[in-house]
Amino acid sequence: MNDLQQMRDKAASVFEQLGFPTTREELWRFTDVSALANQEFSNDWSPASVDFLPLGEFYLVFENGKLSPEKSNIGGLPEGIKVGSIMDRADDRFGTLADTQSAFVAANTACFSEGAFIEVADGIELDSPIHLIYLADADGAAFHLRNLISVGVGSTFSVVEEYIGTPGTAYWTNAVTEVFAADNATVDHYKIQRESKTAFHFQTLEAQLGKNAVFSNHAIALGAALGRNDIRGKLMGEGGEAICNGLYLLNEKQHFDTHLFMDHAVANCNSHELYKGILDEKSKAVFCGRILVRQDAQQTDAVQSNRNLLLSRGAKVHSLPQLEIYADDVKCTHGATIGELDEVALYYLQTRGIDPARGKAMLTYAFANEVLNEMKSTPVRTYLENLVHEWLEKVSG
Amino acid sequence: MALLDIKNLHASVAGNDILKGINLTINPGEVHAIMGPNGSGKSTLSNVLAGNEIYEKTEGEILFDGKNLDDLVAHERARAGLFLAFQYPIEIPGISNMYFLKAAVNAGREYRGEEQLDAMDFIDLIEEKKNVMNLRDDLLERAVNSGFSGGEKKRNEIFQMAMLEPKLGILDETDSGLDIDALRIVSDGVNALRSPERSFLLITHYQRLLDYIVPDFVHVMVHGKIVKTGGKELALELENEGYASWVGEEGP
Repeated sequence: MNDLQQMRDKAASVFEQLGFPTTREELWRFTDVSALANQEFSNDWSPASVDFLPLGEFYLVFENGKLSPEKSNIGGLPEGIKVGSIMDRADDRFGTLADTQSAFVAANTACFSEGAFIEVADGIELDSPIHLIYLADADGAAFHLRNLISVGVGSTFSVVEEYIGTPGTAYWTNAVTEVFAADNATVDHYKIQRESKTAFHFQTLEAQLGKNAVFSNHAIALGAALGRNDIRGKLMGEGGEAICNGLYLLNEKQHFDTHLFMDHAVANCNSHELYKGILDEKSKAVFCGRILVRQDAQQTDAVQSNRNLLLSRGAKVHSLPQLEIYADDVKCTHGATIGELDEVALYYLQTRGIDPARGKAMLTYAFANEVLNEMKSTPVRTYLENLVHEWLEKVSG
Repeated sequence: MALLDIKNLHASVAGNDILKGINLTINPGEVHAIMGPNGSGKSTLSNVLAGNEIYEKTEGEILFDGKNLDDLVAHERARAGLFLAFQYPIEIPGISNMYFLKAAVNAGREYRGEEQLDAMDFIDLIEEKKNVMNLRDDLLERAVNSGFSGGEKKRNEIFQMAMLEPKLGILDETDSGLDIDALRIVSDGVNALRSPERSFLLITHYQRLLDYIVPDFVHVMVHGKIVKTGGKELALELENEGYASWVGEEGP
């Protein structure tokens, strides 16, 4: 525990030094966190009464930041897979990946008291995803959740992080997840953010990939008044492949920010990023996708695309692709669009008898569906298809 | 009663007058062809009939199956039995052809007060219709027209027409860009749909299509007006002599 205490002390002093970021900082230019910075949070604990649906056989449930062994089910896990609390972790690499110069990571390291620790040995295959469920309904509470996921050589593994809040409750989730994908490992990471629309949600996800490792992250955001995902991938072994896809569905005055950073450190790696957003009313999205191709990273193939659909004149998107390339033999492309529904497509549907309201709903769903289609897990995809349908019904109705 | 009765139709797009007094009557079961040079207003006519709001009808009257088309917007015209096969079918990524067709078929059924087709009935209908058009199964599963070749898109249009069983099928230059095999498949598909109740309006540039789908009437359209009407032999005449003599009459 001494190591941890040292780490916490150091992180606390970093946070003290940095404070919450302001819009004067480049990485926070379009996301103002003063509403969060000006609020006090308590540490009182209460049980959470929030419904959830397990998406796999094995799941861990956290209630207002605390692991609930009663609600969880990790009995009968196959040999070679350990799932438990981060407080019982046994991995020297803890904290080595997360950005030490981020105020949110620093606050998390200084304060976290719970989270998931998953260790998958070499050569293991598990079809069913492990579902990490974070339930929240405690007004005025802050949840600093810390997860560490380590997947061994040649293993295939998937995990879902789902954050669910009771509508109307106001709290702050500040999560940090570190993922280590060893050589030849395949890791699918799904993040479903359904926080209360009066809550704050921040998460930093850091993934490191070994040789020929494949890591995919699918981040779906529906909730939070103010939210941000910082997603950082590090391709450290040749032949690695990182897929970072995302979908944000926003309305009212929601503000959601995605900062992606893909670090191509070595040669022959691929990264694909497809981010789509549908924004209604006065919502606002920020997408910043930075791809760094270091000098040694020849034959890099990096593709990034950010497409946004605005359903109202009051909605706003800041899309900021950033390519930083130091190698000379690479293929990197990026594209960003912000638009409305395709009138010509809508007319085509109408000439087949489909009324405009139905046509709009079909086209909007089709827009979102491109991201869902990339998901390998059928239960996760089906669950999200329903959530997207529900969301579309609400905004069109 | 005529199925389609167009009287003195004038229409414009972006302030430019394109149609300048079209008169056309199509009775049930008849096949009419409209031929004309580029820019004569052929595609404008098909879009005005289908209800494309980019085009503005400025004068005249269109009666379809006894209804004034002014009272119906595009999806209502489709439900009432008017079908437009597009010159350039639209790609819609993210919506499967099957899902799209089911929504379209059921929209028409709802309008006619018929029961909605469930998944099984719908598959049966697909099986019945798809062979006519020689459509591969994977095209049905794929997103609407996405990544289809030019010929596949046109076949898909006729397949949709077969599924929707309209009263009037308008084919807007369906033959453009088709090789001879695809043209034959498309024509066979249309001919299979011919019936004493169903009418067709073929809009085309070339006589070739009319070798396969033989029309009852051929109209020549120039500068937004129908300048001559005749039987199928008129198409051959045009093929040999071109439009030059007509175009010259009312130069720009």
